Amino acid sequence: MQEVALILSYIVIAYMLFSSLSYLGLFALAYGKVKKENKLDKRESTEDFLRNQSTYPVSILVPAYNEEVGVVSTVRSLLALEYPEKEIIVIDDGSKDSTSLRMIEEFKMKKIPFAVRTHIETAEVEAIYQSSIFPYIRLIKKANGGKADALNAGVNLSSFPYFCAIDGDSILENDGLLKCMKPIIESDGQIIVTGGSVRIANGSTISRSKVEIVGLPKSPIVLMQIVEYFRAFLIGRLALSHLNILLIVSGAFGVFNKERVIQAGGYNKNTVGEDMELVVRLHRLLREEKSKQRIEYIPDPVCWTEAPESLEVLRSQRIRWQRGLLETLWNHRKMMLNPKYGSIGLFSMPYFLFVELLGAVFEFIGYFIIFGGFFFSLVDPQVAGVMFLVTVFYGSLISALAVLLEELTLHKYPKVSHLMRLYFWALTEAFWYRPLMVLWRVRGIIATFQKKAHWGDMKRKGIST
Amino acid sequence: MNLSHFWILIASLFLGQLLLLLILAWRKQQSNKREAAINSQYDALTDSFSSYMMDPSDERFIEELKASPYQLVVLERLLNHYVSVTKAGADSPPVSRLSEEFLSTRYVRLLKRGNWAMRMNTLYFIEDFRMESLVPQLKEKLAKSSRLDQETQQLIRTLASLNETVAIEALAKHPDAPARLYIDVFKRLDELTKLDELNAALNEENDNQTLKHSAISYIGMAGMTLFLPRIEEELQHPEMEMRIQALKAILHLQYMNSPSALAPFFQSAAWPERMFAAQIAGKLQLSRYKETLGELLGDPVWWVRYSSAEALTQFSEGDIVLTHFAESHPDRYARDMANQWKTSLLGSEQ
Repeated sequence: MQEVALILSYIVIAYMLFSSLSYLGLFALAYGKVKKENKLDKRESTEDFLRNQSTYPVSILVPAYNEEVGVVSTVRSLLALEYPEKEIIVIDDGSKDSTSLRMIEEFKMKKIPFAVRTHIETAEVEAIYQSSIFPYIRLIKKANGGKADALNAGVNLSSFPYFCAIDGDSILENDGLLKCMKPIIESDGQIIVTGGSVRIANGSTISRSKVEIVGLPKSPIVLMQIVEYFRAFLIGRLALSHLNILLIVSGAFGVFNKERVIQAGGYNKNTVGEDMELVVRLHRLLREEKSKQRIEYIPDPVCWTEAPESLEVLRSQRIRWQRGLLETLWNHRKMMLNPKYGSIGLFSMPYFLFVELLGAVFEFIGYFIIFGGFFFSLVDPQVAGVMFLVTVFYGSLISALAVLLEELTLHKYPKVSHLMRLYFWALTEAFWYRPLMVLWRVRGIIATFQKKAHWGDMKRKGIST
Repeated sequence: MNLSHFWILIASLFLGQLLLLLILAWRKQQSNKREAAINSQYDALTDSFSSYMMDPSDERFIEELKASPYQLVVLERLLNHYVSVTKAGADSPPVSRLSEEFLSTRYVRLLKRGNWAMRMNTLYFIEDFRMESLVPQLKEKLAKSSRLDQETQQLIRTLASLNETVAIEALAKHPDAPARLYIDVFKRLDELTKLDELNAALNEENDNQTLKHSAISYIGMAGMTLFLPRIEEELQHPEMEMRIQALKAILHLQYMNSPSALAPFFQSAAWPERMFAAQIAGKLQLSRYKETLGELLGDPVWWVRYSSAEALTQFSEGDIVLTHFAESHPDRYARDMANQWKTSLLGSEQ
């Protein structure tokens, strides 16, 4: 038994060191790009597009399920978006609350007949409404079919060549869409998807659907999620995007070339990770066509979203994410280590399997060995000690580094006290937050084999004050 | 490697981070202080700046500015805010005078510096403030650039804003230069130069098709009816892309000398041509094509059906025609489309 535990210990230690180094390597790749654009006057670089008729019009899709608290403020923030031509389509996916009613009342909507093109099959569309104040706001009321189905219905109704998918509880910064469309326009359509950064709104002051003061929440659970987002977006996505092997564009905010999405078959209704699954399928399509088109992550456009404050909701969210990841990797297992798919098959897919998915299993074993080593002589305490230090390095120091990197590059949080708080909370990660995440992510792997798809069940408070 | 090695490794990484944290915190504090000082000077100078912009003989602002420790940053922000709010720049002598006097030396230095973002910002500001004295430096920089990267693209735009036709020559050296860049250049040239360049572009036959497409497209966007006869000639062009650009331009111009030239496009094998023809028939209210629009309501392509129905709404009795088609058109999709547009018409009337 001790022999097995010792071998396992060495494997886990080697794994954690390897993963940590891969994070650092990825950041080194991304650092140049973030640093290069850091001092760029963002307003100057986008203002020309505001008056430019060469911009592509965009359909903004807002899938909503039981979002009566946040849906109106989300649409209001979208109305304020600076973009030459846009339409807003809210898709009520069979909500049990008053999501549709709130929209109909607030925007004085009327039922209209609409000749929808069915590019992608969806659950039954019950009615389509149009605002009589802002005719470019529409509402689709449809039977429940899940978030992917709702987005597909939005794609069917949309009139423009690009669509932006945004969650019903999110607030997009005024120039966020413009910044996301800029690389698409500048690449003359060679970039088919752009994903922006998602940030946690809890603790910030949001009024009139606009983030007025960026601040930090009091709750340690939410603070840790902010650190986690830094780690995921700054360390992971930027570098993967740089190499054109990014597999995730957050469901909360992304812009897509509609024709490509329809070609790929739209969002997959049979997975809970429909955002990642679509991106992987688009990569697959591009590689099979030997296309040079790209998928890019843009660090600057910011979408603010409400993070779960209770452990129960966070648990269910993480289980869902992990299921989504596993389902996507399983559905596209043909691409894994397949040279036909280039760097996606040879690097990105194995990276997501070993670092993002199985990382939880390795860490779980690691915590088990530390506990067993210190309290039950499962392994030599010396080995358990090394394991403990590596876990602290992997869990806390890398996260603390992500906080420092955010400050070094984007520095979105204005006060010195913000930096200090985030840094010191990040250091505590390996001792309480990470074990919880590891446990839930392992649970997510198990859940993949048990449950069917459903919307997240977070109870919204609304992020607008 | 034993436990103590790991301890040393982790401890040194932690101490390294702690040091970085302290440096970043100090840097943040300094930059917050500096930003607060700049903001306070900006506020303090706003009044005298406004007076100066209205009456440049009022030298109070110049004196106050010279006394400011952050004069260049504050002036840059004041001018930038002024040109973005008033959309001035080219027509504002005080903006040119202030920027040439205080900022040109700094910008010459920045244009040569290694930092990409600072160079880009400088190019944006030179364009906004129309700093003609920097044209030689910009031309020199353009001559050195071989790739059409973001910086060269902005350099070309900036030169165009200073009415330098070298911008078009530089673009022509890149066969893959996109139409939007040519359009950006046309937009920035002054009226007379623009007319010459558009004329020259329309005379391009085989050498630079992108330039010609862009010129047609720009003429439409800018509503330059002066070029209408030339655009109508392009409707006969053997190349489809050119014909489509001409149709688009006519749609924007909202006028045609000979509407009969539109007739062949309703039967075109290419759906974008049918779609634009339908849109033009609606926008120009060419009632002779009303019946054809009714036929196009049953077109196999959704966009053509959509545009035909939309076109019918433009006619005074559009609601009656659409009601008729919604009930009796032989094609089911045409009935759906007519129904959708009929309702939208009712909505707009209410």
